[in-house]
Parts: sequence; C-alpha cells; structure tokens
Amino acid sequence: MYSFLPAVAEQLFKDIQKTYQETSQIPDDLLLALKFVFGSCALQALDLVDQRSVTCVSSPSGRKAFQVMGGSGRLYTCFMSCHFCPCPAFAHTVLRRNEGPLCKHILAVYLCQAMGVTQQESVSDQQMSMLLSGTEIL
Amino acid sequence: MADILTHVFRTFMSKTFTNNNLRVTPPSQTTCGGTLLIGEPSISRPLLLLAAVAAAETGMKVIFFTQTQIQSLPVSLQKCVPSLSPESLKKIKFCYPCRVEDLLQQVASLHESINLYPTPPSLIIIDRLESYLCSPGGSSTWGFYPGEQSLAAHLSALLCDTAAFLTQLLKQRSSSSGPCRLITSFRSEVDTRQTVGKGPTTDPILEVLDRYFQVRCTLDRDGSYEAAAAGLQEVWHVYFSGAGITQTSCNKDTEDSPSIDQEWKLLIFPDGLMEFKLV
Repeated sequence: MYSFLPAVAEQLFKDIQKTYQETSQIPDDLLLALKFVFGSCALQALDLVDQRSVTCVSSPSGRKAFQVMGGSGRLYTCFMSCHFCPCPAFAHTVLRRNEGPLCKHILAVYLCQAMGVTQQESVSDQQMSMLLSGTEIL
Repeated sequence: MADILTHVFRTFMSKTFTNNNLRVTPPSQTTCGGTLLIGEPSISRPLLLLAAVAAAETGMKVIFFTQTQIQSLPVSLQKCVPSLSPESLKKIKFCYPCRVEDLLQQVASLHESINLYPTPPSLIIIDRLESYLCSPGGSSTWGFYPGEQSLAAHLSALLCDTAAFLTQLLKQRSSSSGPCRLITSFRSEVDTRQTVGKGPTTDPILEVLDRYFQVRCTLDRDGSYEAAAAGLQEVWHVYFSGAGITQTSCNKDTEDSPSIDQEWKLLIFPDGLMEFKLV
C-alpha cells in the first residue's frame, strides 16, 4: 500500500517500525510527526491500535484483507494493496473533499503493521469473497 | 498495464500489419497498475476485445466482464485477425454480471477457483464500468455511506487488489510470469473539456477512478474533414496519461521499464478495418 502514500508518510512508518522493534515504544517526536502528517486522525488511529482493533484475515487460497473494528463496534474491511475503507470518513474526507490519503481505520492498519501488533484470523474462501465484495453488509 | 493496449496498437500499426505479427511484440513482463480506457463504447468495446484476443494469442488467460452478451466478434476484429485460432479464444472467459453486486461478487470470488486451473488469469477486462456504477442500486446506498463515489472506489479497489493478488500468484507459480493486468473502459457522463472563461468540469466518479488506475487512455473522435477526405469512416485520437505513464517515462532508459508512446491515431476504414498510427 506504500505506493499510495506521500513519501514523508512512508518514511514515517519505516521509522516507527524500526524504533518500535528496538524499544517497543513510539517516541514523542514520531508521535508529533504522526499528528503533523495525519492530523486528528492520528490520535483516533492510535486508540484503535491500543485496542488491538486490526485483524489480518486470510483464507486457504492465500487471499488476505484487513478488518478494523471501529469505535461503534462495526467491522470495516480494508484491502491489502490499495486504500479503501467503507467508513463515512473515507467517503467524505478522502473521496469527496480530497483532504487526505486515508481514514483512521487505514492509518491504524499501517501502524499495527509497523508495530507488529496485527491480530491474525483464518476464514474460508467463501467468507473471504463475502468480505471483499461487501455483501455481508448489504 | 498500458502495455497490452500499446501491444495492440503496434500489432495493428498502419502499413506494418501482417497476419502473423500478433506474436511479434509480446507485452512487457514488468509493468503494473490498471488502465482506464475513456471514450465512446462503440470504439472502446472493440478495442477491449482486440486487447483480449491479442493477450490470448500470446498465451495469457483473460477474464472479460461485460453486461452485454457477445454473440460474435466485431467485423473489425475478424478483419484484423483473420487467422484467429479457436484455442486462443478458449483462453478468454466471458462473464456477464448484470448488476454491480454481481460484478463485485464475481471479482471477489476469483481467488476461490485459482486452484482448479493450472494458470491464473493474467488480464482482467471490464467493459463499460459506468453501466455498473449507474445501474439501479448503484447510485443509492453503498456500504455504510451513500454515494456513487464510494461504490466506484470499492469496485476499483477490489479490482486493483485482485490484480495484485493474482500477480503475486503468477510470480509464485513461475518467476518469469508477468503481472496480472487490468483494463477498464469508462464513459464519462460529464463533458470534462475546458470551456471558454471557465475551468474544466470535473466528473466526481472519474476523479475517484483516477486514484486507483495509474494510466488513463483517452479516445477522442477527430471531427475534422481530414477523415472524410482520406476516405476513412472515422479517425480517433488516442492519448495515454496518468501517474503510471509519468513513472514509466522517467524510467524509460532502463531495460525493465520500456517507454510507452503517448499519442496514437486510430483509423477506421469503411470496411471496418482498424489501423493505428503513432503520432
């Protein structure tokens, strides 16, 4: 997904990954940088990380996707290779107003991946197809 | 991913066309990112079929999604490829989802059947994306939020993610395999040309599609007298643009990233024959 990010954000996640691997912490300067690059979205995403809300779902075919548990308890399915989230903020802020590259759910995915705290879950191929197509919410 | 289209254009280049040259310039093995073909369905559909046939002739497995049943190949294609082999056509699987929900389900479930076939698809084609996005239900509520933009983003992201997954699979099965390519045709309902004294009008759906498709190929009909004077039925200008083209152009000196010629002319003769000219 890195190709969808500005270079500064890409570098920031690499720095977080390196530092977190060494110290199991994100230092204040990187937290400030997160807030600077992503605005209020950063704090909300860090909340989701603290609650271990991001799960990498995989099926026997090898297909994978991320599921993020939102604050309201709803599950949002995000893709492995490009930015999409079915949440209202992504539709409004990212797609309609073009005010940023991602929502708090996708940012939480990046952070969990960088910190190595993504939960893992297996589903059947048919369940994966339903998650990807969004038919489970129709 | 524009390499399949440029492969088609080069194959059917004016004066250089021969019956056997479909195999002369196979598409590159390294390019990635989807291509959005913008223009009239009357011309984009035959181009998509040409792309499908050209890819199948080089051994690629193709999945072609369309709402309209294909009963026979267009005249232009039959004339362009008179020696088309039935074995090649068998490499193209035509799927006819009626509604956008059906299209989403069929694309999302492509991974379920990959172990049933020796070779995964390496080209996904969607004919007339707008017909799915504008169909009843497509413009109402989608996901947790209303709007066509969200639906366009979901469908585009699913297509790109599926192509990325199949690319990974193709490379696992054979290190020499190319990426899985993605070509989608789209006809904008908004006239995006700049008018005098006003900025260009933007199509909100096209803006969303541009986020996901790295290359845009625009088909623009030439309304001048030249076409009629030259005894041609139609002349179309074909332009490549987008981030994928810019990146390729920046790297065009490297062996892995062949340059893409950015402007072509498509000549359509009264007998249906199509020829391309590099501008």
